[in-house]
This record gives sequence, C-alpha cells and structure tokens, in this order.
Amino acid sequence: MALRLLLVASVMNPLLSMALRNVLRNRRRTLITLAAVTIGVAAVGTIRGVLNGLQQSIVRGSIEGTLGAIQVHRTGYLANVLSTPLSLDFEADEALLGKVRSVKGVKAIAPRIQFAGSLTLSATEGNDAPEALFFGALAVDPLLEPKVCPQRSTFFTDGTVLDDTHVVLGDALAAAFGAKNGAEAILLAPDRDGSLNGELAFVGGAMRAIMPGEMKIAVVPLSLAQRLLRMDGRVTELAIAVDDLTQVVAIAEQLRVVLGPAYEVHTWEELAPERKTIMGIQNGVSAVVSGVFMMLMLLGVANTMLMSVLERTREVGTMMAVGLTRGSVLWLFLLEALVLGAMGAGGGFLLMSVITLGLASKGIHFTPPSATMAIEVIPFLTPGFTVVVLFIAMGGAVLFALYPAFRASRLRPVQALAGR
Amino acid sequence: MALISLKGITKSYQLGRTSVPALRGVELDVEAGEFTVVMGPSGSGKTTLLNIIGLLDRADAGSFKLDGEELAGRDFNDMAALRNRKIGFIFQSFNLIPVLDVRENIEFPCLLRKEDRTALRKRVELLAEEVGLTSVLKHRPDELSGGQRQRVAIARALVTQPEIVLADEPTANLDSGTSEQILQLMERLNASRGVTFLFSTHDPRIMKRARRVVLMADGKLVDGTAAAKAEVQGVSGLDHS
Repeated sequence: MALRLLLVASVMNPLLSMALRNVLRNRRRTLITLAAVTIGVAAVGTIRGVLNGLQQSIVRGSIEGTLGAIQVHRTGYLANVLSTPLSLDFEADEALLGKVRSVKGVKAIAPRIQFAGSLTLSATEGNDAPEALFFGALAVDPLLEPKVCPQRSTFFTDGTVLDDTHVVLGDALAAAFGAKNGAEAILLAPDRDGSLNGELAFVGGAMRAIMPGEMKIAVVPLSLAQRLLRMDGRVTELAIAVDDLTQVVAIAEQLRVVLGPAYEVHTWEELAPERKTIMGIQNGVSAVVSGVFMMLMLLGVANTMLMSVLERTREVGTMMAVGLTRGSVLWLFLLEALVLGAMGAGGGFLLMSVITLGLASKGIHFTPPSATMAIEVIPFLTPGFTVVVLFIAMGGAVLFALYPAFRASRLRPVQALAGR
Repeated sequence: MALISLKGITKSYQLGRTSVPALRGVELDVEAGEFTVVMGPSGSGKTTLLNIIGLLDRADAGSFKLDGEELAGRDFNDMAALRNRKIGFIFQSFNLIPVLDVRENIEFPCLLRKEDRTALRKRVELLAEEVGLTSVLKHRPDELSGGQRQRVAIARALVTQPEIVLADEPTANLDSGTSEQILQLMERLNASRGVTFLFSTHDPRIMKRARRVVLMADGKLVDGTAAAKAEVQGVSGLDHS
C-alpha cells in the first residue's frame, strides 16, 4: 500500500519520480547503502526487543515472584523494616480489604506478615544433632498468595507443599539442616510483646534463593504465623495485584486517598528502586549502542548522496539551465535521501520483525551473572519505539543528506554545466 | 525593438590572483527570427557570451535586455524562471537526463512550470514527429544515437516555445552526415516556427547556412562583414572554406 502510494505520488510529482529513478540508477551502491540502513535499523530494533523482553522478565519476576505490584503497610513500617516491627501491624478485616477492593484496577490482595524467629528440626536419619537457626520469615496465605505472586512457586523445588501445616525453607536454611520433606519443624518467635512462643509445623520443601548469598529465609503459612505471633486476624503487609501495570502509580495514589494517613502505599518501583536503576543503565547503554549504529548507517547515506552530487554535477547544471530552481535541486536530493531512508527503514523493519518474532517463538533462556536460576526472555517490540526508529532512519537520512543537497543547490549553472 | 540587446557587456574570470578578461564591452543586437552564428577562435569569448545571454552566468557590467526587459541584477530564481520561459538550450554533449525517457526529457522543462499534462503530451507528440523521434519516445538516452540525442535536445529546447534557442557547438560531437541533418532541422524550425537561433561554433558548415555571422576575437565583436571574417580567419588560422 505504501509502495503504491509512493508510486502514485511519483507520477504526480516529477521530482519524486526522478528521485526514485536516481536511487535505482546505481544499483550496486544503492544496495550497499540499503543494506547498511536495513542492518542498522534491524540491529537497533532487535537489541531493543531483547532488552524489552529482559526488562519485562525482571519486572514480572519482581512483581509476580516476590513483591506484588503494590504493598500496603502501616505508616512508618518501611523505615523500620529491618527490625521487622510487629507493632506496626493492622487488622486485615473486611472493612479494610473492602476499601482496597473498591479502588478500580485492584485485581487481588494477599495478606502477609514478615517476622524473624528461630527454627529447629527434629532429628532425622543422618542428622542427629538438631540445633536452632535464626531465620527471616514471610508468612503468606497459601490460597491468596498465588493470585498476587503466581511466580513465587517457581522458586520451589519439585514436590514442595505449602499449606496451613507446612513451611518451605530457603535452600540455605534447608542445606544447613539437611532438611527432608515431612520433617517436624519447631518455630520459635517473639510476639509483639516480646513473649517467646512456639509452633510445630512440617517441612513442605525448599525454595531456591533468587540471588546467591541470600540470608536464611522461609515461607510459612499465615495462619500458623498468626498463632505463633499471637496476631489473630492481623498482618503487617497487604500485597496487591493490579489489572494493568501501566496504571500502577494511579492505583497507588487512589489507594493512598482511600486508606488515609494511617497507611503507607508503595509501588513495586518504590520498593525495589535498584531494579529501576539497573533498567535505566541498560536503557542508557542500549541508547549509546543504537546511536552508534544509527550514526554509521546515516554516514553511509551521506556518503552516497555526496557521491551522487559529485557524479551528477553536469546533470544538475542541465536541469538548472532548463529552469530548475535552487530549492527544487535541494528537494530533489533530499527526496532521494528520503527514498533511500524509507526503503532501508522498510527493510530494517521487516528484518527486525522476523528476528524478534523468531527469538520470541522459542524464547531466550539464560542465567544472568550472579543469579541462581535461568530466566526466560521473550523479546518484543513496542509500536512507539518502532515508529521512532523508522522515523530516525528516514529523518536522519534526510538530515545527513542536507549538506550534499545544499551543495548541489548552490552550484552556479555555468559551473555545473562545465562539471566543476 | 531587438529581441536581445547587449550594451557594454564585460566579464572577467579570476585565475588565482590574475583577472582574465573574457568579454570586453560587447555590443550586440539580435532580432527575432534570426539564424545567427557567433564564430571565433577558442578563448575568444563565444561561450561566455552565450552563457550570459542564456542567463547561465552574470556579466560584470553592462546592460542586457531580453525582449526589452532589463535583466541585470535579477536573482537566481528569477533567472531560472526566465530561462524556463524564454530560452531554449542545445548543448554540444546533448545533456539529456539519463533517468528520463525521450518523452520525459522533452516534457521536463514544462513540468517544472506545472503545465497541463494532456495538452503538453499532445504538444510533445507533435514536436517529436516534427524532429523525427516518434518511434523512440519510450527510449532512454543511452539507447539513442548521437543524432537522435541531439534531436531530443532540440525538441526539449523548443517545447517551452521559447523566444530564443542558444546552441553551443551543437554539431561538435556528431559525424558530418548527422550534423547536416541536424542543421537542416534547425533551419527548418527557424523558418517554420520563427524561433530565433543563436549558435556558437567552429563549424564552417553552420557559418555557410547562417543568415548572420558575428565574429569574436579577444572578447570583442568584430563586424560581420566579409573583410572582418577574413581578418578573424587570419588571426585565428581558422579554415572557413
């Protein structure tokens, strides 16, 4: 369709028609220039596509694996999070949950408690010296948690059970105990008044640490934690899933209004600012690399246009002799650059689409440096970025042709006819 | 009133620090319908004179009137429009646009002024028939002989119905038979259409056909009489036989 429009326009406009034919005149040179533009556009698009997939994987891993899109705490909780302040808890009753649900875009709510305690396992075969180990615990509702963090279970090893009587140990903790599934586990923890309480549970399995060197952690059922901590019906955190991640800031703002000053509301970006920083660095590096690709590609266009002007000086003189104005000479060469840019951008778009779709169909699986698990990256292109790249290829081609075109337009007819 | 009137035209070129005079106070009137030849040895200023008359270059000083209109001091785009409307060019090397076919080459000057395509197409076909190009209208210049190319150039020069056609050595790149045909064609067009032709040439065959000969030597015009011709012939060593 676009090509047809271009052809119709070229019939209507003699300069565009000439520009098209001039581009096809030196086919070898045009092919080399087009190849440069096509490869440049495809490389920039593919790099971005892979990065999009990687960043989406990071974001989804954060949101769906651990954080949730939004978290609600009692005001002041995050400032004191290292001391796991049980005193900053709240009643997760229907009145509060109803307020949260009333905000448009909230998809699911999962109540949680973060606390610290110690764990002792009963003696097992080959492990006859039980001892207590301190650990950090996240108490979750086994039924509600998957609605907010569906990827959490991907960290669990095969056969792991998380229900009201089973706890899941981080691999560091499990390794320290040599824990086996079904073993008795005694959890000890101080409640908010400082009284030490104990509860019996069973080892449901283990989970891989997201990053190596993570502290000893465990996921425990919420009901067990509430009994252990004497916090019946109370929690320290609500994790929230939303329908549309692009609306997360607006939803968080709405929650702040609904819940009032007694609660603090944070988006996943506020909870994990280092991930935003990492993605910012990735975007910066990608922009620099893309800029270099684009610059090399556009210098190729400029070189082609300069050669074209030098070769066609006498022809420019002839056209000026029969009445072509300086402005029209400028337009003629800029149109040629635009045609080159448009053809190259079109080729680049096709190539980047094929590569990106090809990679996306199988996914890229790799383990990032310092990570313990492989991640799957599904590359994808966004319409906005694609349009910008195509616009830069076409607009840049015109911009880089400005000097050769201007030079052609400033020729004096008598000079140009003499080929000088 | 003369179609072209030049008074005291001077033009110098700068070669490094040296100023080389090309025209030294040229005075020339050309009437409408003339078939005039400017002759002279190399370096006598013929091409410079044609360039100035063709508005391809500017004189340093003097008055140049085309159809009574003073043209000194016009800007580039004005001059381009005047060239398009009033002047046709025939070049020694044909100077056709290689990416355009014969029809498009002939149409090109008219397309720049956005003429109605249908009327233009009809005019081009008539002109092509007149210069003997009907069978090659769809051909590209590189598919034509030298004579055919020069015919295309002639048709292109005439398609805008100009007041004057300037031809700089139009037969220099043609064999004698083809030159003869081209000269006959231009003579015929001059007679049938009343178009004014002004040539610069070394070719004695053109001089023989010219109804007026303007002789140049050292950037000046010499009276176009037989005595003056002989004088120039003596100075230049040209064979005008």
